[in-house]
Parts: sequence; structure tokens; C-alpha cells
Amino acid sequence: MYTYSSHPKPVEIRKYRDLPDPSQLQYGNIMYDRRVVRGNLNGQQVISKNNHSDPGMQQRQQAYRRRAIARKQAKDQLKTKTPEAIQGRQHVDVQTDSFLEELSNIIQVSEMDCQTDDFLDKPSTPLFVPAKSGVDVETQIEEGDLFDFDLEVQPVLEVLVGKTIEQSLLEVMEEEELACLRTQQRVFQELRNNELAEVQRLEEQERRYREEKERRVAQQKEVLKKEEETAEKIAARVFSHQYLAGLLPAVFTALRNHGYFYDPVEKDISVNFLPWLIAEVNNQLDKRYAAREVLDNIIYEVTQKRLLEFTHLMSGQNSCCDS
Amino acid sequence: MTTAVMDPNRAPVAFGRRAVPQLFEQLQVQDPAHKVRALTSLCDLVHEPERLYQTVTGGFLKQLQVLLQDEDAAVRSKTCELLQLVMNHSIGRSALLASSLLTPLSDLMDDPSASCRTNAHRVLSSLAQQPAGAEALLSLVHKLMLKLCQLEKVRQEKQEEEQELLLSTLTSCSRLDPLPALASDGVRVLGQTLTHTSPSIRREAAAALMALSVPADGKQQVCDQGILSNLLVLLHDRNLDVQTNTAGVIMNTVIIRPGKYLCLELGVIPVLLELLSEEEDEEQKKRRKTLVIYCLRALTALSEAPEGRVILSTALPLLERRRNEQDEDVRRAARTAIKVVTWKP
Repeated sequence: MYTYSSHPKPVEIRKYRDLPDPSQLQYGNIMYDRRVVRGNLNGQQVISKNNHSDPGMQQRQQAYRRRAIARKQAKDQLKTKTPEAIQGRQHVDVQTDSFLEELSNIIQVSEMDCQTDDFLDKPSTPLFVPAKSGVDVETQIEEGDLFDFDLEVQPVLEVLVGKTIEQSLLEVMEEEELACLRTQQRVFQELRNNELAEVQRLEEQERRYREEKERRVAQQKEVLKKEEETAEKIAARVFSHQYLAGLLPAVFTALRNHGYFYDPVEKDISVNFLPWLIAEVNNQLDKRYAAREVLDNIIYEVTQKRLLEFTHLMSGQNSCCDS
Repeated sequence: MTTAVMDPNRAPVAFGRRAVPQLFEQLQVQDPAHKVRALTSLCDLVHEPERLYQTVTGGFLKQLQVLLQDEDAAVRSKTCELLQLVMNHSIGRSALLASSLLTPLSDLMDDPSASCRTNAHRVLSSLAQQPAGAEALLSLVHKLMLKLCQLEKVRQEKQEEEQELLLSTLTSCSRLDPLPALASDGVRVLGQTLTHTSPSIRREAAAALMALSVPADGKQQVCDQGILSNLLVLLHDRNLDVQTNTAGVIMNTVIIRPGKYLCLELGVIPVLLELLSEEEDEEQKKRRKTLVIYCLRALTALSEAPEGRVILSTALPLLERRRNEQDEDVRRAARTAIKVVTWKP
């Protein structure tokens, strides 16, 4: 609940000179009041209401202003005023009452309002049926008048069914052809597989036989080689037997011939004693020879000396004789 | 075509000669739904040989290359479908080989969308059926092997078809030249795939192994990695194709000596004899013909070894019976078998 010092009241508009009802206030919606500035006031330039570019208009405005001033002056002159204050005195406004009373014309207002019921739909306007004009005519289509459906539909159906069947026949034929091709291919593949397996088996067989043959041949060669070796061995053995058989007596004979078997006493005598004996004999003989030699030498020397002496003697004798 | 108007999934098709070019022009539009519709109509048209010829000779396949790298998965998958239909004819196949579509196709194998991958595999698989195509795909074998390893590690149901197609591509390539697949450790991966739950995958894996076991190196690897025991289990499988392919692998493997002795140890001979001795009626005979021939050849190779000969000489009457059959190939195989069994060194 609000209390006001002065009740809010709407802004009056004084559009009409005579109020239609002096007790009723004419008020307008403030939102649509031309005097109220709407919108953002920032940067809004103050446009003087007297801004007219038209010079005639300006002159007229000036004339109005002059006339207004003149009127005002005239009015002022006519207006009765209180006489001027006498010299030395002053007029002063004085309030006589102690309480101020506002003199105003309070208009008694009573409000009435009315409200319609909730959304009563406007009933739909009845159809506008123009007044009948013109002549009534009627017509009726009998059984056989229009086309006969069964007859007419036949070609259409034929085309439809024909096209569908044609397409399906094509597809079926294609599938059959494909199936045929596939079967043929399959049969061929199976035959090929068969023959391939057969070929491979035969190849394998060939290979095995060949290997077997080679192995046998190799074996045979081995055997032959072994036989040869054995024969050689046997021959060598026999020969060596033979050779060795006569070896032993030959060796003994040779040894005996070389004098490796000897009588030790005989050997000893012949080796040790006899050489010593002979050596001794030689020594003795040598001694004799030496002695003889010495003797010979002595004899020779003696003879030589004697010869010399004899010669000396002879010569001496000769010389004595001569003399 | 009235169907075009009535079917919202297909683009309208022009008349006569303009049909294919106009649809290809529509493919230039950016809207993916539009493209899918145009592709669907193209798929329908291409069944006809004349239109196919027009597509191939008009040089429209280059546009498909751009489409293969499109962002929308439906567009890519439909393009693959279209390519697969093109592959049905030899002219399409040669055109595909001549164009450079193989690289984007092989990139599509790693696509996030499953239908796209499956369709790409379909195209590759049908391309590999032709020798020239298989040759072109040989360079991709390594990548295919890696993909197979990946798929093996994560065994999921929806990838079964993809795996099957991948395996059939590998088989066709390996028939031409098994060396790249062998080099990428193919035998080990395929050995793991043999134990898969789906029979079609087992069949394809066995077929691939059969192609891989043709060179001697492959045979040696099959023996070394102990795959023969798996194969023996597969011989008892209920699916006829699986049995046939397994018999083929065994037939190839027993040609080398380690293979022979391993199989003799594992007791493969009684199983093969059992397979041969089954009574058949006429139409079953036709279907089992391949199985019978493979068994006979395997037995022939096994009887090269003396122990095998000993065992098989007791089974001579069975082989005799087979010799008197109507089919020329079976007779020949049986005759060879009997000759080898009764050979004296």
C-alpha cells in the first residue's frame, strides 16, 4: 500500500478548447505523447523548433514573434495591477493564514470497468450463399456411355506385364547362361585337376624310378669297385706271401755268407790273438831289422872311415913317395 | 517405360538409344538419392546385351570410377552391382580390365559398409574367373590374404558371404599362379579357415587349398603344418562339395613322399575306400563323379608306396567294380589305380 503526498495523475492534454465534459479529464497515453522524447538521449542534438530554412517561413515567424510581443505589451497595459508603491514604501507579499491551502479544482472521479468473458469465440460466419440465379441443368452418365474399363485397360496391362516379363526373361536367360558357363568351367576345372594330379603322380613316379635306378646303378658300381679292390688285395697278398716265404732262408743264407754266424773262439783267436801274434812277430822282426840296419850302418861307417883313412894313407904314402 | 513412373526407386528411362547416355548424365547430379535411382534403372537395363555394349563402348565406365569413391554408401554399393552385371559378358570384363577401375575396387574392400564390401568382392570374384582377370588380380593376392586373416580373427555371421567370395577369388587366382598366395602364408590361414562353421566357406577354403597344393612347395607346407588331420575330419563332412574338394587336396598332397607316409599313418585309406564303396543311384552318380575320381587318384598315389600297395591289394575287387562303370573318366582312373596296385618291382 502506497501513500502519496499527491496522488499520481495522468498528464492532461488540452487538445480541445471546450472540454466535452468539464468534470472529466482528457488524458492521453504518455507513451504516444509527442512531447516526450523517446530513445537514447546520448548525442541527441537539440533541434530548435524554430529552425526553418525557408526564408518566407522565417519572416513569417519573425512577424508572429513581433505581433506576439506587441500583443503581450498591449495585454500588459490593459491588465490592472496594483498601484506602485509610494516613495519610501515597499510592497510585500504576506500570507495571512497560518496554514497553506492549495486551491485547486479537484474533480471527482469514479472508475468503472468492464471485462468480457474468457475467450468467447466469435462464431463462424455463415456461408455466404448468393441468391440463386441461372437455370438448373442436370446430367447422368449411363453404363455404357464412357469407355469400357476392361477393354481400355488391356493394352496398358499388356505393356506393363510384357515389359516386366521381358526384363525377367532376360535376367533368367542370363542367369541360365551364367550357370551353364559355370558348370562348364567347373567340369573343366575338375578334369584339369584330375589330369594335373595324374601328371604330377606320374612325374613323381618317374622321379622315383629314376632315382631308384640311379641308386641301383651306383650300388652296382660300388660293388664292382669293391670286387676289384678285393681282387687286387688278394693278388697282393699272394705275392707278398710268396715273396716272404723265400725270404727267411735267403736271409739266413746271406747272413751266413756274410759271416754273421761265427764260432766265437775261432773268431776270438782270429781277431784278437793272431793279430797280436803277428804284431809281436813283426815287432821282433822289426827289431832284428833295426838291429841289422844298425849293424849295416855301423859297418858302412866303419868301412867308409877305413876307406877314408886308407885313402889318406895312400895319398900320404904317395906324396911321401913322390917327394 | 511405364515401370519407371510407377516405381519410385527407379529413374525414368529415355527411349531407345538415349536410355543409357541419359541415365549417365543423370549420374552427374550431386543428389545421392537421385544417383541411386539412376543406378537402379541402369542395373535393369544392362541385362540386355545391346545396352551393355552401348555402356561399354560409350566409355561411360570412367564415370563409374568417380562414383566408386562417392561419399554415400548406397551409391557405391549400387555401382558395384552395376559393375557385376557388366562383368557377366566378356566384353564387359575386357573393358573393366582395360580401364583403371581395379584400384578403387580394391580400396572398396576396406569400405565401412558391408553391402559395399560384399558387392566389391562379387565383382572381383567374377573377374577372377577369367584368366586375364586372374592375372590382373595376382598383384592383389597379398592384400586379399591379409583381409582373409582379418576376417578369420573376427568370425561374424554377416561377413560369411564376403569371406566366401574372397576365398573364391583367391582360388581362381591361385589356379593361375599359386606362388603369390603361397608366399603370403596362405596354407596356414586356409588351414584355420577349414574349421569354419559354414559349409560354403569350408568348401571354398578346401578348393583354395587344392589350388595351392599343386606346386611342390605347397604340398610340403600342407604336410608340415599338420593340416592333414583337419582334412581327414572334413572327409566325413556331410556336404558333398566339401568332401570333393578335400579329396582333391589329399590327392595333390599324397604325391610327395612325406604326404604319402603321413596319410598312411593317419589312416586315410579306409576313409577313401569307404567313400568309393558307397552305393549310388543314377543322379547321385553324376554328382559324386568328381569325388570318385579324386579318391581313385589319391589311392593311386598312395599305392606307389609299398605299404599302401599291401593295404590296397585287399581292396582290389572294389576297384574292379569301378573299372566297369560307364563313365569314361572314372574307368580310366580305376584302370590306372589297379595297374599301380598290382605293380611288382
